[in-house]
Formats: sequence, C-alpha cells, structure tokens
Amino acid sequence: MIKEIGELLKGMSITMRHFVTPPVTVQYPEVKRPVRNRFKGRHELKRYDNGLEKCIGCALCAAACPADAIFVEASENTDENRFSPGERYSSTYEINMLRCIYCGFCEDACPTEAIVLEHNYELSFYDRQSAIYTKDMLIVDVPVNGLPTPQTVEPGIFNKAIPEMEDPK
Amino acid sequence: MMLEMTQKEEKFIIPIGPQHPALKEPGHFEFAVDGELVTDATVRLGYVHRGIEKGAEARNWNQNLYLVERICGICSHIHAFTYARGVERLAEVEVPPRAQAIRVLVAELERIHSHMLWFGVAAHEAGFDTLFMFSWRDRETIMDILEGLTGNRVNYSANVLGGVKFDVTDEHRKTILEAVDFMEKRTKHYLNVVTTDAMFLQRTRGIGVANLQQAHRLGILGPTARASGVKRDVRVDAPYSAYKQFPIKMVVETAGDLEARFVVRLKELFESYRLIREILNNMPEGDLQVKRFPRRIKPGEVISRVEAPRGEVFYYIRSNGGEMPERLKVRTPTMMNMASVLAMAVGHQLADMPMLLVGIDPCFSCNDRGVAICNSKGDHDQWTWERLRQHGIDFYAEKV
Repeated sequence: MIKEIGELLKGMSITMRHFVTPPVTVQYPEVKRPVRNRFKGRHELKRYDNGLEKCIGCALCAAACPADAIFVEASENTDENRFSPGERYSSTYEINMLRCIYCGFCEDACPTEAIVLEHNYELSFYDRQSAIYTKDMLIVDVPVNGLPTPQTVEPGIFNKAIPEMEDPK
Repeated sequence: MMLEMTQKEEKFIIPIGPQHPALKEPGHFEFAVDGELVTDATVRLGYVHRGIEKGAEARNWNQNLYLVERICGICSHIHAFTYARGVERLAEVEVPPRAQAIRVLVAELERIHSHMLWFGVAAHEAGFDTLFMFSWRDRETIMDILEGLTGNRVNYSANVLGGVKFDVTDEHRKTILEAVDFMEKRTKHYLNVVTTDAMFLQRTRGIGVANLQQAHRLGILGPTARASGVKRDVRVDAPYSAYKQFPIKMVVETAGDLEARFVVRLKELFESYRLIREILNNMPEGDLQVKRFPRRIKPGEVISRVEAPRGEVFYYIRSNGGEMPERLKVRTPTMMNMASVLAMAVGHQLADMPMLLVGIDPCFSCNDRGVAICNSKGDHDQWTWERLRQHGIDFYAEKV
C-alpha cells in the first residue's frame, strides 16, 4: 500500500515538475524562433555599397541549379545606363520557388557573391504563378549612401565585372 | 456443418492501407487472421515510387548529389554520402581528411536524430505518447545543431563531390558538445524507461522475435539484425571514410525481440555521442574540398556501401565516360527488412502489427524501387521491355 502511494507520488512529481518548467514550443505566428546564421532561406540579390547590383547576369547559378529553378537573361550595360559593374547585367532574374530545393549551390557558383540565401522562410503562395519570384522581389533595397540603378557613371571606372576578392580561406 | 467447412477453408483477410491511420506512409498490407491471430501476411509496396534511379540518368553527376539526397527524408545525408563516395572512387579523387571527418560527424548527428525520431514514433505506436513528445523535444536539439552547421534542418546538402561545403568552427564545436552531453543524459533516462516500464515491456518483450537463423535467412540489416545477434555493421566490417581513424564499437543484443531493438538503437546512440566527441576533439586539419573535380567521369563501375541509421545503404554506379551516370542502383535497408516483418507477423496479435512494423524503422519512400525477385529455381525473373508491353496488352485485353 505504502509502496503504491510512493510510486504514485513519484509519477506525479514528474508531472508537477513539467507543469512548472517553461514550454519548449513557441506561439509561431506571433513569436518567431530565430534561425541559425547559416540558415538557407529565400534568396536575395545583393548590391554594392554604391547601389550597383552585384549580379552580372552570367547565369552560372542557373547552370549550377540542380532543380533548374533559376532563369537569367542578361543585357548590355552602358555607362549612361549602368546596373552592375562590367559588361552585362541581369535584365530578367526569376527563381521558381516551387522548384527550388534550397541547396545553396547557386550561392557557391556565383562569382560575385550576388545571390545569397537569406533568413526568410515564410514562403507561401495562393497560386503557382506567384511562386515565381522576379528580380524586383529578390533584389535588396538600395543602401543608404548608394544610388538606385540604372546609374549614370564616369566611363572607365566599372569595367571589371568581378571585383578584387581574396581567395577563400 | 456446411458453413463451418467453408469458414475453415476460407481466410479472413484484413487489408490495411495504402491510406490508413496506423500507417505514416503509404503501403498496403494484407493480414490473414484467425480471430485476433495473424496467420499470414503480405505486403504491397510502390505507392510513392518516384523514378529517382531513372531520373538520375538524365542529370549530371553534381545534380544527382541533390537528387539522391531526397530519396529519404530522414537519412538524407547518408544517401548523398554514399553517392559521393562512389563517384569519388570512380573519379579516383582522394577526399581531404577534414572533409571526411565532417561527413562522418554529420552522419552520426543524423543517426542520433533518426533514432530519436524512430524512438518517438515507436513509443507513439505503443500508445506511450508522453515518451513520444519527450523524445521529439530532445530531437530538436540535434535538429538545431544541424541547422546551425549546414543551414538546413533536413536535406542538409553538406556534401559536394570531393569534399564538404562547410567548416566546423569552435563555436559549433562548443554547442555540439553541450547538446551531446544533454542528449546523453536523456538517452540514459530513455534506456531506463524502455527496460523497466512494465506497461511498455508488455508491448515489446518477447514480441516479434527473430532469432539468429531467421535473421540470416531473411537477410535483415542494421539495428534490427544486431538486435537478433547478427554481427553486421558496415562501419565495423568495412570501415569507410573517417571511420578508419575513429572506429566504432558494434552494439549487439541477442534477444531478437522488440525490446532488444529498442535497446540496440538507444545503445548505438551512446556510441554516436562518443564518436562525435572524439571527432570534435581530434578534428584533422586541412582543406574542405579537393581543388578540382572532373566534370566527366571516366568509364567504370563502382559499388559503395554505408551504414545508414536503418542499416546498409548500397549504391551501384556505372559511368560511360559522360557527364551523367549510365546507371544508378540504390538498395535501401528498409527494402531488406520488410520481409522480416511479414515473417515475424505470423502468430502475433493483430494489435501488435503496428509495433512490429515500426520495429524495423521502416522508411517507405526509401522502399519504393524496382526489385528483381529470385525464384525458387534460382534465376532472376527479369522482364524485358517487349515482355512487359505484351503483358500490358494481354492484361487489358482480358479485362475487356
């Protein structure tokens, strides 16, 4: 009899202990759990500090993509209408988010570090058409001291498409 | 009198699936029952056949790495690991030691989260939902680590051909070691629960016994086989990658029942914790990837085996010198273990069936691939395209 009560108390003590410990779940839409640094979420097309786009329209990301999710079309840059350093920029950049598998291979393939998988994971659509993210949706805002593209620049400054970069360590 | 006769000869068959509340994934089972006792069992698989092996023949070597990762949602790294190992051997590329250590590290983390997931599902099937909740909560710590390490909670895409994509920093090392300490404490508790809880033991002890002979005959793999006393673990039998430097101790139980399968898997976790600590404390220095990996791979064929959480994953890869594999054959552990469920089912209560099925840690999406069945005469019953086509024509002609 005493033993049974002891067992009962032992069981209840576990219940009571969990009753007072804070829950591990979060109230999702109101409270968001922060993602880790390396999290691979929605892509972003980056800009340089002066506002020029990093993407040069080389379509290496599209070639690397295992799921064929990326479509890139490049156009010529001129010094009057400059979008990115170098000869070309991406006039169309589309990612089909229904095809994307978030492997981050586009990130690895990019020679100018233009495409980065950022931390947004809230991707849902009402129809298949809106799953195709265009360049306007993917590109980040112009930085504070930068100018919006297309820019008019002095000739001869932005001739190199790929900036000077250190070898990855 | 007449009625009795027919009832004796006729079998009462309970079909379960392909869609059924007791099944997490689609599969069709037919249990012939006598009252509550199962007298015969058959299975029909293939409801989520996706044609991945054929699809691999139309993608290049690199793209396939991501395709094979999606064969299984839980042991995704293992598939990419096996494939990458095979292709690297075919291309005669030596992977740097640090990359190999990181691969094994992720593989062992994956084993922990896979076993914890299985543990939760098994507890749920046994009607012990508290244990299910607890084990899945603890599994989250490993998922968080994997997210921090690779960027994804599942389908980590940690591998590239010729190495790995990311490095393990000191910060990661610290969080992993902390989490492993926490998990070790919890696993001790769980091991205590599954071996002492009287209610739970009623569902597991002495249920679904597969003895050593049966295990050998049915060709069971992985923890299910090790619970029956079969000493079979690719990590020990044919150490690959970093398992050469960091050997693992095989966990073998002899009882062969469901309890033994719980104990084997939980004890394996302790080995994984030990190995993770050892790798993190003795991480080899060096590159993460080889400098150059060929786009075309010279003609040849290779097999690659890796011990997945569920058992041995086997890949056969053949190249004809092109940018794409000529043939990719995958054999997954669940495929091999499925026969054991059917054999063990006979003589058990119908209510034990979910537990028996979950005892092998089934993965239905792994399961759905073509099989060549060896008939009793010993020859493979291979169907040519013409024969298959003729069969289709005849089948539908008969129907009309």
